[in-house]
Amino acid sequence: MVQPLSSQAIYVVLLRELKRYWRAKARIVSSVAQSFFFLIVFGLGLGRFVGGVSGVSYLTYLAPGIIGMGLLFGSVFSGVSVLFDRQFGFMKEMLVAPVSRTSIILGKILGGAVTASIQGVILLTVSGLMGAFELTPTLILGAFTAVGVMLLITAGLVGLGVAIGSTLNDFHAFQLLSTFVIWPLFMLSGVFFPIDVVPLPLQIAMLCDPMFYGVELLRWCLLGEGTAMLGPFGWVISLGVLFGFMALIVSVATYLFSRVQV
Amino acid sequence: MTEEVPAFNIIEVHALTKVFNHEIRAVDGVTFNVGKGEILGFLGPNGAGKTTTLNMLSTLLKPTSGNATVNGHRIDEEPDEVRRSVGYVFQDPTLDIELTGRENLDFHGRLYHLNRTLRRQRIEEMLDIVQLQERADDLVKTYSGGMKRRLEIARGLLHHPEVLFLDEPTLGLDPQTRRSIWEHIHYLNQEKEVTIILTTHYTEEADYLCGRILIIDFGKIVALDTPQALKAQLKGDVVSLTFESAAMIPRIHPLLEKKNWIRRINAVSNTTNQSSIGNMMHTNQPTAGSPGIRNDPHRTKSATSTVKQTNMTNHPPTAKQLNLLVDDGGHRIPNIVKLADEAAVVLESVELHKPTLDDVFISATGRNLRDQRGSFMDMIRRHRIMRQARGRPTPG
Repeated sequence: MVQPLSSQAIYVVLLRELKRYWRAKARIVSSVAQSFFFLIVFGLGLGRFVGGVSGVSYLTYLAPGIIGMGLLFGSVFSGVSVLFDRQFGFMKEMLVAPVSRTSIILGKILGGAVTASIQGVILLTVSGLMGAFELTPTLILGAFTAVGVMLLITAGLVGLGVAIGSTLNDFHAFQLLSTFVIWPLFMLSGVFFPIDVVPLPLQIAMLCDPMFYGVELLRWCLLGEGTAMLGPFGWVISLGVLFGFMALIVSVATYLFSRVQV
Repeated sequence: MTEEVPAFNIIEVHALTKVFNHEIRAVDGVTFNVGKGEILGFLGPNGAGKTTTLNMLSTLLKPTSGNATVNGHRIDEEPDEVRRSVGYVFQDPTLDIELTGRENLDFHGRLYHLNRTLRRQRIEEMLDIVQLQERADDLVKTYSGGMKRRLEIARGLLHHPEVLFLDEPTLGLDPQTRRSIWEHIHYLNQEKEVTIILTTHYTEEADYLCGRILIIDFGKIVALDTPQALKAQLKGDVVSLTFESAAMIPRIHPLLEKKNWIRRINAVSNTTNQSSIGNMMHTNQPTAGSPGIRNDPHRTKSATSTVKQTNMTNHPPTAKQLNLLVDDGGHRIPNIVKLADEAAVVLESVELHKPTLDDVFISATGRNLRDQRGSFMDMIRRHRIMRQARGRPTPG
């Protein structure tokens, strides 16, 4: 189904996401606090016991992964909100307008990506303040690159949320979504331990997790290197996988959304 | 409220049909036109096919067969043009309650490609019409039910559509708010010359607002005419007489039978009164799928014939009430009271029942608007299948 895109429609859906994000202060605070607890308990607590990983402190090793976690939770739920829009009726207002569904869904994905990345920037700042990173010119450059990476990661994840939100017909499956989609993506993303120290089956599972490449890329930006397993050009591989994942999942989401009935 | 023939048809519908799941004919070959400037009411029970018809006319749903044009654009060929011509106020709320009233309108304006100047101007205009200026910058979640409804109507009109679809505009609102919504609808039609299609299962709403009423049942049109004409096709007014005792009825009955302006006399016990009145007004009930009462000129004629039927066979011995079918009941009450004096019987009360659209509905469909259709299980099953069919993604 080829439909003309309307920049105005994409923009207005994006604008709505931003407004809703900004007004849900409680959600921002709780999400930042959640990541903050992870950094405190694991980074400072477990870190004392673990020591360092790959030549950096455990807190430093952990921080990019925790930022990734914030991105993951924020963006998948942002995408799944199409289900809320369907249930609470606002979707009809969008679907009856003379704009293509592709425009609506691109606006939704962009909006989710931008808000989740704002969340990521907040977490980046928080972990910086906690002493996870040393403030150097390289880091500042890396942090800016990281924002771009965040947008790439979250676009794919919002798409995943949209695909799920377009398929589900009620809220009962939410628990399943959390247990079988979000948590595995998080736990296998290599937040807590390097991939090369775990048994092979787990390594394979981790290599199948798109979020793994997201965390890898964030580490490249913020720590200057990734896992030795992917080699010195691991960032190229990770970037490629993330682009591929994003393209695939956005297409699937657009298709599934085009089939949504009011 | 106008009965004149409209200048041209803004909507033309031909044999429009929607079948869900290959078995539920939600809309079954409906054909009708809507003239510019009209208020047309779809009257029918829940599940009759009212919303499904609107969804097809607004291109949200693809018809199974048949076609329609809105403002000259075919719904299957120029959906965007059709969408621009239509403002749709849905039955269920579709506002974003986390945004302000003004933001909801602004969102709509952008979706319909209005530029900034036009948006600002229209938003003020619409807020003024629905009297929401003072609350425009509050979040919609703080609005009352009536305010939300008014905001939805304002939003539906923001892009100056030729036609406004109002799906159950006053469902769930209190009587006072309902009256105020009615005034807004009336104003929009009269002053802003917006053509309106509204669906309702409130007969008084259809009667008050609509120039013409389309009665729809099981996806089929069973009647289409002005409320006045629909009511005029019923057989007259019913005057209910209650006497002091049942023993008085045989005394007055012969006198009543001699009067040729009384077309029918029914004796009833109090418990069956309501259905008896309904049945008196419309004896010739069409079977399902009949062309409908407007296409049957003979019925009105036969109704005015002077052949009098008297139904005393089921007369319960305790009944002390008579229902009389007469033309222009109000003017006949004095004559009836005089007859009671002549017969030396004591009247306890006299009640006049004018035909209502409820009676028209019973006449057209053989059922009460609030009755359950078919068996209870049938109804449950039909609802379940329609719900599933709507919720399930299908291509398109």
